[in-house]
Amino acid sequence: MISDLIFMNGYGIYVWLSFVITLGMCSAIYVKTKKTLKKYEKEFLHELRNLSEQEKRKVLQKSKILNQISTTNREVI
Amino acid sequence: MFNFLLPSRIYLLIEKTLKFINSVFFPILLIGLTFALVISPPDYIQGDSVRIMYLHVPSAWIGLACFASMAFLSILNFIFKTKNFFLINKSLAPIGLLFTCLAIITGSLWGKPTWGAFWVWDARLTSMMVLMFFYFFLILSFKFIKDQDKLVKVSSLITILGSINLPIIKFSVDWWTTLHQPASISLGKSSKIDPSMLYPLILMLLVFLLFSALIFLMKYKTEIIRIKKKRIKSL
Amino acid sequence: MLTKKVKKRILFLVSIVFLTAVSIFFIFKVLNDNLLYFKTPSEIKKDENLDFQRAIRIGGMVKQNSLSATSKEIKFIITDMKNEIIVSYSGAIPNLFAEGKGVVAEGKLKDRNYFIAEKILAKHDENYMPPELKKNVK
Repeated sequence: MISDLIFMNGYGIYVWLSFVITLGMCSAIYVKTKKTLKKYEKEFLHELRNLSEQEKRKVLQKSKILNQISTTNREVI
Repeated sequence: MFNFLLPSRIYLLIEKTLKFINSVFFPILLIGLTFALVISPPDYIQGDSVRIMYLHVPSAWIGLACFASMAFLSILNFIFKTKNFFLINKSLAPIGLLFTCLAIITGSLWGKPTWGAFWVWDARLTSMMVLMFFYFFLILSFKFIKDQDKLVKVSSLITILGSINLPIIKFSVDWWTTLHQPASISLGKSSKIDPSMLYPLILMLLVFLLFSALIFLMKYKTEIIRIKKKRIKSL
Repeated sequence: MLTKKVKKRILFLVSIVFLTAVSIFFIFKVLNDNLLYFKTPSEIKKDENLDFQRAIRIGGMVKQNSLSATSKEIKFIITDMKNEIIVSYSGAIPNLFAEGKGVVAEGKLKDRNYFIAEKILAKHDENYMPPELKKNVK
């Protein structure tokens, strides 16, 4: 049963290689995308933190989206 | 006109969707892989090598669909000058490149045991390779052109011209003699794949689509933050 | 919504795409022969200026009961249901090569009906089904 699944009547090497390559490339893209996202989030919050209290309030009031980005990452601030 | 696509309206939606997909992705992936590798039957001629179809076909579809959507958005962007479409395209391009490459790689791993060759220069395979180069140039332009206006122009041009290749890929197997077999699934005709293999295929397509959505949303979020970060200072 | 500027852009885009599509169509018209991966036996029969020195590919179906093998070579007939060509070949054959299935042979024509192949590729069709079902259909 298990050896059938691995050898697949001689096609095993091609089938398993395709699945491994697909999984590998997809995971690599996933990790890279996530890393870049985290990096930008961190830099963004860093800049927000460097503003004075007053500036921060003004910025968050003016832009809805900045507000949303900072609320979804509240635990970091 | 395209207000519903504004980043500020959909940012929270992106967050929610990302969380949802993250929670369901792994169970669906496992079910999909079990069906593709264990439960689905071998083919009557191709034997177990048919299992590569569950990767090859969805990859090729998504590779084509990504380029088609990018071309559509580029045309809208060119006509209505909606900047947001450019961000969507920039987030779609890596997904398209990934799946086009995967379609080619899994295709050659499927071709070796069935046809007897990893690669042949028939019309379908060659036009698919041309698509890969279009994706490649597009991503290079995103990386190396710094001037925003110029970048939008160049990338729109690449996508719109590249979209002419799409019908060529689709119909290459009908217009010319190719080693690649004609389409098994087409609109308005009954599928030439037995249901016991068609359902695993649809399941794997769902897995690939969820993965694409995951990458797309993360990329799109990155692009939004990148722009907003620049704007903090100017506010 | 459709201002003058927008209309102008649409017109520009449509004309560019139209011109490119037309030029590509003509390029294909010229290249048509090279885009064909293989020729069918009927096309070989019709072809006035066959080049017997150049390697070409022919394709079709392996005729039922035409396959014969000796220790040195295999011989079979490629058919497209109208015309036939005899093929002789020695070397490794792909797994899916069988009578009644599609095949593409690469090599040179000896004469109009005889082809010496240097490479054989199996062509499979677009139907997929489990083996048990195939038995039932038969």
